[in-house]
Amino acid sequence: MDTVIEVKDVKRDYITTKGWFLRKKKTLTAVDGINFCVNRGEIFGLLGENGAGKTTTIKMLITLLAPTAGVCKVLGFDTYKEADKIRGEINFVFGGEMGVYRRLSARDNLLYFAGLYKIKGKEAKKRTEELLKLVELEDAADRLVETYSKGMIQRLQIARGLINNPKIVFMDEPTVGLDPIGANMLRDIIRKLKEEGRTVLLTTHYMQEADELCDRIAIINKGKMIAMDTPENLKKSYGEKGMDSTLEQVFLALVKKEGV
Amino acid sequence: MKKWMIYWQIIVSTMTLQMKQSFARPMFRFCLICNPIVNTIFLYEMFLTKGPDAFLNHVVLGAGLMGIWGCICFSSVGDINRERWSGTLPLIYVAPGGFGLIVFGKVFGNTIMSLLTFVLSYVTAGVISGQWLYIVNIGYFLVSMVLMIVCFVVVSLCFAYIMMLSRKTELYMNLIEIPLVFICGFTFPVEVLPEWAQAISNLLAPTWAARLLRMSVGQVDKSVYVECTGILVIELLLMVLFTIGLYHWMDKRIRIRATLEVS
Repeated sequence: MDTVIEVKDVKRDYITTKGWFLRKKKTLTAVDGINFCVNRGEIFGLLGENGAGKTTTIKMLITLLAPTAGVCKVLGFDTYKEADKIRGEINFVFGGEMGVYRRLSARDNLLYFAGLYKIKGKEAKKRTEELLKLVELEDAADRLVETYSKGMIQRLQIARGLINNPKIVFMDEPTVGLDPIGANMLRDIIRKLKEEGRTVLLTTHYMQEADELCDRIAIINKGKMIAMDTPENLKKSYGEKGMDSTLEQVFLALVKKEGV
Repeated sequence: MKKWMIYWQIIVSTMTLQMKQSFARPMFRFCLICNPIVNTIFLYEMFLTKGPDAFLNHVVLGAGLMGIWGCICFSSVGDINRERWSGTLPLIYVAPGGFGLIVFGKVFGNTIMSLLTFVLSYVTAGVISGQWLYIVNIGYFLVSMVLMIVCFVVVSLCFAYIMMLSRKTELYMNLIEIPLVFICGFTFPVEVLPEWAQAISNLLAPTWAARLLRMSVGQVDKSVYVECTGILVIELLLMVLFTIGLYHWMDKRIRIRATLEVS
């Protein structure tokens, strides 16, 4: 199978300094030597508690952060040294209400980002209309984003994340803040992306969602990878013997075992 | 689509977005509209006894330069922080259009819009003094204006990139606003400053841009004008080279130091 994401012995430290003259350095290791590969067309889940290192891993893969050590490759290119070769082929969606221009309409937001992704005028308009329809924002497309609800902003974020027809989509807790209808819509979009042969790397705190969508799941705890397999195999390997364990039970058991 | 057309599309769309966003902010409207009017009134009172030349040079151009610099500090430079807080900075940073081009579009859009400060200073000075100022050498004035725009765009780009490396942008932009007004002689001649300060002034491109602008509204000594233009062009070229170097260095550092987002 074709590997599109390669993470090898990756480590990421955050260094903070305090004071003006006698500056004290403090190092926090967010990701501590993780390894995994994602194949083309796969939905790959990264699970872990808050602060486990999921978002940092995604940020390194989308060329926003440099790894402190190890190799991070997307589509065969190094995410730090060859970022320019990757950026046009990928996109990302971060959960929450950030990442949109609130004083612009949804349509203007999408058209602007289409321009930044070098999509031509007519094509940009067509793509914008398709995406507004996909996330059901056609009726509110010309309203300023500052008048939107949390869920509507989140749906706009999803549309923005798909503006360039990315080969790989990175989604960091994309269903945070979405109502059940919005969350369901997003899950349908993710399934459709898979049908089209696109790769999705997803982080979520909703275990049922991960179980339902992901082909494979990696569980991270305190920056280290503690398990990686298909949801079924994870349940078989780490669930209680003779019982039908859920992914949530497996996750809790694994994290407790490693020590919180 | 040809490559330059794509770049042009990115610059124009960023300029438009920037103008819409900036004008929607009360602080920017204050800097753009109120600030030059208030500054013109105060400078008029200060230079009331200094004769018509000082009036034109230091009241109208001084207030205009102060206004444009204020808009640059609180918009072109401050925008990096606004993008950071709204979570859009990482999005534009990784966009394949090129972050350098996007920041250029923002800065250029702001600088063009900020030219309104000169118009407002001119009108305010006319209204309060009853005298309407006349530019003798329109050609020199236009050349000086273009060079001044280029100068402020380059200076803003340089500051904007520096601000990428730190989250304390607001503190720094407040720190740079007033000292630059004084040291570059926007409101009074740099010759009144001590010699050591004049040496610093002459190293800064905005000093020469302000000097050229002042020269162009009165009787122009061609040789002095050409000499000043030469110095400004050399300083701008050096600054462009420094800014390009800074951009490449910054591009690596911000991914190591993780300063694109609010922690």
